Amino acid sequence: MILHPTVIANLLAAYISSFMVLYALFYGVQIVRYWDIENGHELQLVLERKTYLIATLLGYVFGLQLLSLFLYIFTADSLTPLFVGAMCAAGTLNVDAFGYPTLVLKIVNFIVAGLWLVLNYADNQGYDYPLIKKKYLLLAFIAPFIVLETLLESAYFLSMKADVITSCCGSLFSSERTTGLGSEMAALPALSMLRIFYGVMFCTLASGIFFYIKSVGGYFYAALSLLMFLVSLVSIVSFISLYIYELPTHHCPFCIIMEEYHYLGYLLYLILFGAVVSGIGVGVLTPFRQVESLKLMLNGFIRKLALASLILYAAFTALVTYEIVTSSLVIAYEVVY
Amino acid sequence: MIELVNVKKVFNAGNPSEFSALNSVNLLIEENQVTVLKGPSGSGKTTLLSIIGCMSRPSAGRVKLQGREITSLPERFLTDIRRKTFGFIFQQPNLIKGISVLDNVMLPAYPLGEKRVHLKNKAMKGLAALNIANKAASKVEWLSGGEAQRTSIVRALINDPYIIIADEPTAHLDTKLSYRFMEIIETFKAEGKTVIITSHDPLVYESSMVDRVVNLRDGQIEV
Repeated sequence: MILHPTVIANLLAAYISSFMVLYALFYGVQIVRYWDIENGHELQLVLERKTYLIATLLGYVFGLQLLSLFLYIFTADSLTPLFVGAMCAAGTLNVDAFGYPTLVLKIVNFIVAGLWLVLNYADNQGYDYPLIKKKYLLLAFIAPFIVLETLLESAYFLSMKADVITSCCGSLFSSERTTGLGSEMAALPALSMLRIFYGVMFCTLASGIFFYIKSVGGYFYAALSLLMFLVSLVSIVSFISLYIYELPTHHCPFCIIMEEYHYLGYLLYLILFGAVVSGIGVGVLTPFRQVESLKLMLNGFIRKLALASLILYAAFTALVTYEIVTSSLVIAYEVVY
Repeated sequence: MIELVNVKKVFNAGNPSEFSALNSVNLLIEENQVTVLKGPSGSGKTTLLSIIGCMSRPSAGRVKLQGREITSLPERFLTDIRRKTFGFIFQQPNLIKGISVLDNVMLPAYPLGEKRVHLKNKAMKGLAALNIANKAASKVEWLSGGEAQRTSIVRALINDPYIIIADEPTAHLDTKLSYRFMEIIETFKAEGKTVIITSHDPLVYESSMVDRVVNLRDGQIEV
């Protein structure tokens, strides 16, 4: 293990999150099993009081979870000088077998934690805890992922050895390599991906505007938001990075978070993750629009989520377009290796 | 109408000092009536009153306000009900020193965001009704006991609640002021308000305007 302040911060955040989530899950399971709002028994009243504590606690824990993704990337980036071969976070994450799996889990947990916060906010608007069981069922689904993330993150940081020679991002995200997800994404034809990106983004924005105006098609917009998120991630590797670096062969999704690129990556990822959480949130809340105690507010909240998601996707597109337009790189034809 | 179903309140549950203040209380309090909760010290009167007034939650049981169950409500909904439904008159006036009578009276209405000019008119009207309008600008520490009590009554009414809750309101008043207090209670009743008073003062529970006396002993209602 390398004793670095950011490593300690990451591990502490992970242990706190896991401990709190497991504590909350203990009561969450009781709530799922025994909750009965019609009942005035002692246990029910205890659970009613406990849910305040747990929901508040989870609000902070999942807030921390959202931050921890960026902290993890920042840590990987700041540890780069310690490993031979590493040029950015991509190399640091590759120093052992746990770096990338942890990152994937962090991305998944960011989205589900964000959705839990959306569900919790909606539940708190009702006077009769309308979504309480769903909220804690979702917690039961999330908890194993949070714990697994902590285990993987611990394994990643604890098994770090300073004498490891790792690969640089140029190798990991190279279109010349034949194996690995990063290379496969990098090998996608950039111009075709650019067209797919703008095409899917157009459909997503159009469907979001339609939903915002007509309140119809919430599930479709949520599905498109998820698709757009995945397309955007692939696009960053495939062509967006090329325009930012102004190099036709450098596909790294991590170098863009460095100072040389004005930390642009953090802004891009923040916007993208915010967009996908609010976009999927529309679909998560849509089935509850007819719940009696939520009727008055839920439609308004869902529309706000859709609007937030639309603005964020539009901002992402604007930022990407700006980078493409102002870049010195011109991709006129595809290079096939 | 307020309905209490199997209400229990246990303090320090699970500890050696566990104390059961209320044991399975079932009670129906009708609207537009003056109800007195009577009983010796430690009988659970104030505990029951605080549960009815949404100031504390029972350990078990439910309270229904006009048919709507309120004990399970999340805190922010409960705050709203407490603010708009109940007016509290305590044993001590509990006025805030250092500010004027008028400010004390207007204070509970601030969170509702009513325009200050309307609020001031309403407060002055309330003070005038209890003959203390001339003290509006005075600091509360300059008031006599009776004036302080009347100020606290005007404060309890500032949000126009339809239920008035008074906890041992005459405990610190002399006989003359106690009678004056009961006269004020009579006006509340005439206005259609529901009044719930805890007291072991005969002057209160033997008053002709009281519609019902509920006897409490050891946390239970005596039949």
